[in-house]
Amino acid sequence: MESLEGKRGLPRIKPPFPATHGLYNKPTVVNNIETLANLPYIVGRGPEWFASIGSPPKSTGTRVFCVSGHVKQPGNYEVPMGVTFRELIYEHAGGMRSDKPLKAFIPGGASAPFLTPSHLDVKLDFESVAAAGSMLGSGGVTVMEEGTDMVWAALRLMEFFYHESCGKCSPCREGSSWLVQTMRRIVAKRGQMQDLETLVDLCKNIEGRTVCAFGDASVAPIMSTLKHWRPEYVTLIQEAESANLIKLEPAGVRH
Amino acid sequence: MDNITAEHVRLTIDGISISVPKGTLVIEAARRVGVMIPHFCYHPKLKPDANCRMCLVEVERMPKLQTSCSTVATEGMTVRTATTVVHNAHKSVLEFILANHPLDCPVCDQGGKCDLQDFSHQYTATSRFAETKRIFQKEYFSPLIETQMNRCVQCLRCVRYCDEVMDVKALAPIGRGTMTEIKSFGAHPLDCEFCGGCVQICPVGAITSRLSMYEYRPWMLKRADTVCMFCGDGCQITVQTKDQELIEVNSAQGAGRNSGDLCARGFFGFRAASHPDRLTHPLIRRNGALVEATWEEALEFVAEHTKRLKLSHGPQAFGGLISGRCTNEELYLFQKFMRLTIGTNNLDSSARYGHINGVQAMRSVQGTHRWTVTFEDIVQADVLLLIGTNITEANPITGLKVKEAVKKHEATLLTIEAIQPAIGTISNISNLSKQHVCVAPSQFGAAVLGLLKAVVEGNHIDSTLRQQAPDYVSAVSQAIQQLDWEDLAVSTGVSSESFVQMAASLAGGRRVVALAGQTLLRSQGAYGVCLNLLDLLLLTGKLTAQGCGFAPLAEENNDQGAVEMGAVSALLPGVLDLTDRDARDQITRAWKEDLPVATGATLIEMIGLAQTGIIKGLFIVGENPVGSLPPQTGVKEALSKLDLLVCQELFLTETAALAHVVLPAASAMEKAGTFTNTEGHVQAVRPAIDPVGDSRPDWEILSAFSVFLGAPLEYGDAKEILKEIRAVIPGYGSLGPSPIPPAVDPAAVDRYMNEGYRRDLATRYTLPARDVRQDGTVQLGLTQSLFHSGKLSTYSTGLLQIEPSGLLQMNPVDAARLGLDAGDRVRLSNGQGKFTTTVKVLDRVPEGLAWLPDHFAQDALRLFDCVVDPDTKVPSYRTASVSVVKTA
Amino acid sequence: MLKEKHATEIEEIISRYPVRRSALIPLLYLAQREEGFVSEAAMKEIAGLLRLTPPQVYETATFYTMLNLKPVGKFHLQVCKSLMCGLAGSDTVIGWVKTKLGIGPGEMTTDKLFSLSAVECLAACGTAPMMQVNEDYYERLTEETFDRILADLKKDGTCSLKTGPFMWPEPANAVKGET
Ligand code: SF4
Ligand code: SF4
Ligand code: SF4
Ligand code: SF4
Ligand code: FES
Ligand code: FES
Repeated sequence: MESLEGKRGLPRIKPPFPATHGLYNKPTVVNNIETLANLPYIVGRGPEWFASIGSPPKSTGTRVFCVSGHVKQPGNYEVPMGVTFRELIYEHAGGMRSDKPLKAFIPGGASAPFLTPSHLDVKLDFESVAAAGSMLGSGGVTVMEEGTDMVWAALRLMEFFYHESCGKCSPCREGSSWLVQTMRRIVAKRGQMQDLETLVDLCKNIEGRTVCAFGDASVAPIMSTLKHWRPEYVTLIQEAESANLIKLEPAGVRH
Repeated sequence: MDNITAEHVRLTIDGISISVPKGTLVIEAARRVGVMIPHFCYHPKLKPDANCRMCLVEVERMPKLQTSCSTVATEGMTVRTATTVVHNAHKSVLEFILANHPLDCPVCDQGGKCDLQDFSHQYTATSRFAETKRIFQKEYFSPLIETQMNRCVQCLRCVRYCDEVMDVKALAPIGRGTMTEIKSFGAHPLDCEFCGGCVQICPVGAITSRLSMYEYRPWMLKRADTVCMFCGDGCQITVQTKDQELIEVNSAQGAGRNSGDLCARGFFGFRAASHPDRLTHPLIRRNGALVEATWEEALEFVAEHTKRLKLSHGPQAFGGLISGRCTNEELYLFQKFMRLTIGTNNLDSSARYGHINGVQAMRSVQGTHRWTVTFEDIVQADVLLLIGTNITEANPITGLKVKEAVKKHEATLLTIEAIQPAIGTISNISNLSKQHVCVAPSQFGAAVLGLLKAVVEGNHIDSTLRQQAPDYVSAVSQAIQQLDWEDLAVSTGVSSESFVQMAASLAGGRRVVALAGQTLLRSQGAYGVCLNLLDLLLLTGKLTAQGCGFAPLAEENNDQGAVEMGAVSALLPGVLDLTDRDARDQITRAWKEDLPVATGATLIEMIGLAQTGIIKGLFIVGENPVGSLPPQTGVKEALSKLDLLVCQELFLTETAALAHVVLPAASAMEKAGTFTNTEGHVQAVRPAIDPVGDSRPDWEILSAFSVFLGAPLEYGDAKEILKEIRAVIPGYGSLGPSPIPPAVDPAAVDRYMNEGYRRDLATRYTLPARDVRQDGTVQLGLTQSLFHSGKLSTYSTGLLQIEPSGLLQMNPVDAARLGLDAGDRVRLSNGQGKFTTTVKVLDRVPEGLAWLPDHFAQDALRLFDCVVDPDTKVPSYRTASVSVVKTA
Repeated sequence: MLKEKHATEIEEIISRYPVRRSALIPLLYLAQREEGFVSEAAMKEIAGLLRLTPPQVYETATFYTMLNLKPVGKFHLQVCKSLMCGLAGSDTVIGWVKTKLGIGPGEMTTDKLFSLSAVECLAACGTAPMMQVNEDYYERLTEETFDRILADLKKDGTCSLKTGPFMWPEPANAVKGET
């Protein structure tokens, strides 16, 4: 909305909500394109039809999932809600790229916590994914094969968040830059054990304290990779310690 | 929100229950129960932005912590600010903020008054941040304002202030994320109103004043709360000094009538007082030259010559002129000295240059000599009419009140100004207008007649008034019907529809305030225009209604006080007519001495009398008529003929240079007393430093004269004079936080409607003469600049850095028509003389007009004719038709 | 001056919105299309058109990374480096640019033909790795297609390999770009 008014793309504080004071201070309805794309069908064929597809009661209808990463046929797939990740990845998207075993996947865009192979039979609906500790979010499913460096993956995502952070509120702005710098150090084998604790702390301090949901989202990759693949972090740090490479990054970061 | 009838809600904060008006923010409610919630981005003047997340609190039944600066208190809400969860949240947010902060407190000008420093101590917060801190390249920002972006916490208070309060929009957050920095435009230095608001509102040391860079720590400084000496708005300022040095001026949030806001003159102009050219010793003319003398010698000299002249020529051979920059005590003593010690009513003050027009109009119609409204009424108004105010430049803080009314409370702004809406480096009030009429200053009167015509024809006349004063209503209606819309359109360049719409908005308003400013008040026929404006309010029923009124804006800081102290020829203290028997008796009783009977001469009349040799001695206190009046008035020759010219001055002005005796006066920074601002609010002036050199406050000098003349008017200090003023004008200056405005006097209004209007209605209701515009000419106007005030500010190093000289400002269309570019040297000339200056092209200048800031226009004054108002004797010399030719 | 050259387009853009300021981003794009980047002169002119102060334009222009405030090459290669493209080899793509054109992120070739930026997700993760050149997307990059893109751009100023949305099963010729 701010962009539409020609301003910097910053979140607005709520209340007031867009529905009453939105664009140009007038009531505004914000929908993403997917919702709008669904509308003609729902209106045309009736809500019962829409509800009959997928996995009632809440996650009804179809959704488009964008499968990316180490699969044979990445791309956009419209499937009814409620199919399993296994079906989506191995049937629709043609299975793993180099036929290596799957190591991790992100079920719903960059802000969704990572899941492990044990979650492959989770159904693609809001409730099931939430129960597994993640979310469907934007519908972007990213698949990583065995051998992928999870710390590196988390860093890549963190860099994305750092870049996209609008900079409005301090926890997200400062937090994301801090997390990126610490992660870079760890990946560059210059981490220290207490960094892990700091990472968790920072993530907790960002969560729930920002203007928009972006802050919460940005900590998901680090939190979930730390949860499932902590040993990978530890190995990197131990390598660092044994090589006695611990020193601070000399130069500033600017992109 | 401030509405008295507003609903209240009750909430509990840390166990304390409090009732606050609906709409109050939790952070404010907490402040009321004495709980200070830490914050950076919140500021009571600004809309909440909730970006720093510092002010998080627990609110019962809300899952997440809430930002108290953006959460509105609701009925039954329970807020906790002192829990561990909240404390940890504050600590962690602080840790984030400190992550990229240099914490270079020892070399930071904010040290000792920094929110970040304070909160860090309070939470003993440090940051575990061990990565590389961001570093911004240090860039030159402006001559007066310095930025140190490494210290910025990105709260955007500065940016929001510059937009929401100032409407200047000179600052912007540049870039993104941690690398966001506050800049103006690219690498260009800041060019703005230089109000200093961003410096004051920055919670850390990221934006600071260059005038006081690296000089001090706050605890080393002495403070004096006093009043700005640069304009009639009367802002409260806190002057910080170290020994005898003026270090910094600021104004605490919420303080004074300005509630902490200042303009460039107030914030950066203070060093005028410590300019090296200040006079430090008395000077006496010996063998044609002014030479240093002792006070004793100087006073002796004045006494001797005064006695001699009085003996041979009588008291009417004297005159006196005082500046509206003096304190009430000095103005009062001055007129008492002239009337009693000398024995003449030949005295005047700078109020004569224009302010008196508004005061006399108010007296004639509504029987008050002050506004019947206050700044608060301007803020609360739903319709504001501005006429010839040039408000941003002339009365910047009154301008902020207007902006607040429009921007925060959605008031309807109607403007009749000689300005064109355009975006520029300083704000432009007409950008905020609902309806704007751009007319030349000579045609303000025509525009007001247009409004009156639309009111009459549109049937907007108050129905009770019709019954109450049918004669008056029909006389006005008839007079206005004589005017033709077409003629009006030719005069003003505005169609009847504009006036019709404006009249409808005006009549539809509930709380209507009409502000008239310097551009109008100093123009020819301004007294009549003010009367017509009062007719306009009266006819629409807006003169006496609650929250409505007429507000003429004072130019000098104490022009209003000058009138109230009786420092004008025909008025006695308390704004009583000299010719009024009862009034004379009252003053005589108080002074225990008879008043001179002969009527007094006003400014221009005194110059005439000096010219013809009738006035032989002149006492001038802080005024510079030779520098201010056009040479056609013969002021310089007249003053040169005097047998005795005594000047009390800060600097050796053009007038002082002609004097026989020059006495060094103390500036407002060096003396105590009171000033009365444009609203009629009396405020205390306190010394920040000792008088420079041997200078003395003007009242002390006047008192010393009287002693040497053998008729002592002695006072121990300024307070004693105020005490006497209060005896003469009962209750004068209660010095409270805000003025209690007088009400319109119904008896006076009746007198006006029965009788008063008849005297000059016919003349007032005719169109003013039109400017003749020939090819190759423009209508030159003297205007007030935001960065200067009178000649005094041209001694301020700070202000001179922003505006070092007076440029001819003209519209791009005219510039193109005359084949001129910015920076070209041009010669202005007419039958009366010529003047060479440099062109500046500015969108806001209306086509056909050109502006010259009057503080630098000395040599241009000869281009102007001086016309004296027959009623108020105000000399008007503000516009002249000149041809403009490019010189090599 | 933009105004002289694009008077009608500017009119049309401004007329689309009830509030003038909304036209800011489209006008900044127009300026970028014109000069390859948004110059100070353009920002000032746009400020005048929209009745904003230059700082107001500047703050918006510096917020959006799609807008270049410094001159860029005729072809601005923007390679996505986010995770999904990263998994599919975007670092390799950046490596190709380095070896084939000799420039790293933020740099421009001396002939001012190409400049490179490493950018964050451009929402084509399903067809990674990808890059955007000026306003066109090139997806599912291989070294072979990459070479061809560079060659075509140099030669014709455009390349037929630019892509649209992908669908499985792939149209037989899609990858070759003969759509
Ligand atoms: S801004 Fe405040 S905390 Fe920062 S260096 Fe200055 S005084 Fe210290
Ligand atoms: S000093 Fe200038 S930039 Fe700062 S708030 Fe005032 S007008 Fe804006
Ligand atoms: S300069 Fe000061 S007021 Fe402005 S954003 Fe930075 S910290 Fe806040
Ligand atoms: S010049 Fe007027 S508006 Fe400015 S600070 Fe002084 S009193 Fe206030
Ligand atoms: S003060 Fe409330 S978020 Fe900054
Ligand atoms: S990750 Fe490259 S386009 Fe989304």
